[in-house]
Amino acid sequence: MTARDANGPDSALAKSSGRFFVTYLLRGLRGRVRQVVIVAVGLAVGVAALVTLTAASTGVSGAQAAVLHSLYGVGTDISVTSAASSGGSGSSGSSQGMITRADAGKDFFRLPLGLGLLDSAALATISKMSGVAEVAGGLGLSETRAGPAPASGGPPSLTSTSIDGVDVAHLKLGPYAAGTITSGRSFTAADAEADVAVVDAGYAAAHHLRVGSTITIAKTQFNVIGIISQPAASNPTNVFIPLGRAQAIAAYGGLHTLAGKLTAIYVSAASASAVPAVHSKIAALLPGATVTSSGDLASKVSGSLASATKLATDLGRWLAAAMLLAAFALAGLLTTAAVRRRVREFGTLKALGWRTRRIVAQIMAESLVTGVAGAAVGIGLGFVGAALIEAIAPTLTATVALNPGSTPPQGALINGGSLKTLTLPGGVHTISVQLHATVGATTILLAVVLAIGGAVLAGALGSWRAARLRPAHALVRVA
Amino acid sequence: MYTLTHVSKTFRARGRGGTVTAVRDLDLSIADGEWLAIQGRTGSGKSTLLQLLGGMDRPSSGTVALTGRDVGAMKETQLTGIRAAHIGFVFQTFNLIPTLSAIENVEAALVPLGTPSGQRRRRAAKALAAVSLADRAGHLPSELSGGEQQRVGIARAVVKEPSVLLADEPTGNLDVDTRDEILALLEKVWTANQLTLVLVTHDSTVAARAERVAVMHEGQLSINPTDTWIG
Repeated sequence: MTARDANGPDSALAKSSGRFFVTYLLRGLRGRVRQVVIVAVGLAVGVAALVTLTAASTGVSGAQAAVLHSLYGVGTDISVTSAASSGGSGSSGSSQGMITRADAGKDFFRLPLGLGLLDSAALATISKMSGVAEVAGGLGLSETRAGPAPASGGPPSLTSTSIDGVDVAHLKLGPYAAGTITSGRSFTAADAEADVAVVDAGYAAAHHLRVGSTITIAKTQFNVIGIISQPAASNPTNVFIPLGRAQAIAAYGGLHTLAGKLTAIYVSAASASAVPAVHSKIAALLPGATVTSSGDLASKVSGSLASATKLATDLGRWLAAAMLLAAFALAGLLTTAAVRRRVREFGTLKALGWRTRRIVAQIMAESLVTGVAGAAVGIGLGFVGAALIEAIAPTLTATVALNPGSTPPQGALINGGSLKTLTLPGGVHTISVQLHATVGATTILLAVVLAIGGAVLAGALGSWRAARLRPAHALVRVA
Repeated sequence: MYTLTHVSKTFRARGRGGTVTAVRDLDLSIADGEWLAIQGRTGSGKSTLLQLLGGMDRPSSGTVALTGRDVGAMKETQLTGIRAAHIGFVFQTFNLIPTLSAIENVEAALVPLGTPSGQRRRRAAKALAAVSLADRAGHLPSELSGGEQQRVGIARAVVKEPSVLLADEPTGNLDVDTRDEILALLEKVWTANQLTLVLVTHDSTVAARAERVAVMHEGQLSINPTDTWIG
């Protein structure tokens, strides 16, 4: 025997065999199209489930953030509120909030239902915390105006206007930031003590207001400088005025002075990663307050968004994992079975002098191509699934107390002899959000890695089996 | 070429426990360029003997020496290299790769040798022409008859110009006319390439074509000259 005993020089072997490698690979895939398609489709279904459910989960997270931003503005990462004290939200006028004929023609102010007061001194402390980019305060009020006493007797009619005092130096924070000026102008820092107002578009239309009109709040004339369109919600603020003016007019009508008082603090963190730390520091600074970020808003929200969140995180996560595992198992079983059927083929190649590692490489390459095909189809199906979810998903609603997490103020309804308790409308926000199921780059990358990984694992199982066989055993097995 | 000394091969019996001895204390010498036929009934151990000669399995005891080198003591990679360069196989069931064309099946035998692709294709085409299948080079095995598939198998076995050709029941799946064609082809290849041919068969007509016939019975071998073969 000559020096030909050993295998050919490595470089020549590699070059020559590379072309045949590709030929054998392509022929093999073409000759076993049905099996390749079944394995690829199995992987694709698992990948599609992962992509679709991840997109839905991302959409739900986005909807939660949209709820927070609808309530407190796009720039707000954390809101701080407090629960109303047992003494009530503070109001003037008749005791227990009941209006009688004697109150005709009067104005009454109260804080929003369920909300208590915070001290604006906290603003300075919070602004100095590391991780805080910006902080602003807000004061919500409700003005109830009693009409004239009816000639027929009974209490006068009531009209209510919700008012929000805006920190004009920090317009990117708070519910005001969630709206869009559609006419006129927004506040400037120079408006801090001015009697100017920006009015909600719906309220303006209902009351025939436009830029340049005047509205009366606490017997004071406010000049309308802008009209604002706000996200759909059950209780949008009707009128925005500068914070200092809101604190001052609250004393009108007998409501104790609100100088230096707030109903909400809005915080913008320096980065998303700083939010948890800032959250903790504020909670430590104000132990009696409710500190809310979009991450923990989910536990304080009721409505269909809450149900969707639970569905996406609980069922969705496990369903995606289960489908992916099933896809891997299917790919592994089918590939192993296919390799078993090809034992004679591999035994023949060994008899021809093919090294085990070359045979293993062929099997792995076939599996890799199958995995890539499965990933591509799966990602495509995932996009379709995400689009379907977005198309058919109903508008989600999120109901949250003005002080998130606390029990909204309850009232009683007597109807046909029965007494029912119900949540007072003014004590909650109900936000409508649309689910946007988006497929992110990270999800796509994960899907590709999992599909290819699953296929390669399946190929490895099969080729390990084939590699262990001696040529004689492989040939005898099939004879 | 080959010297076998006290060679035995034992297998574990599946399901029943115990062992099965396929080859029993066998001594055999095969000269360079000789055509030896090993005849015997099914289960006599002749295919096992062929696998030992081809380095596809190792003896349980004894030595199988190929040009003085103990095949049983070699590493798997060495055996693979020897099969790649020096030993050609022809199988009863043809064993063509079903997804490769005729010429690609022949080329597969040259891949382990690092033959450049252009040269590989030319040699494969020449080998197919030598077995009168040049016009079927692009056909898949499923598009070829049994005889044509075996011709491809022979072309694949000889394309690398081996020193040894081992044929395991090469005509076992063929009709009488095709059997004779294949035997004639093997004889032509043996003569033209001056290689050592060991052919295993149960058919005495096939065995009779060889220079020398050995008969296997229950794992043991007896040598007879062709004019006194046992049929």
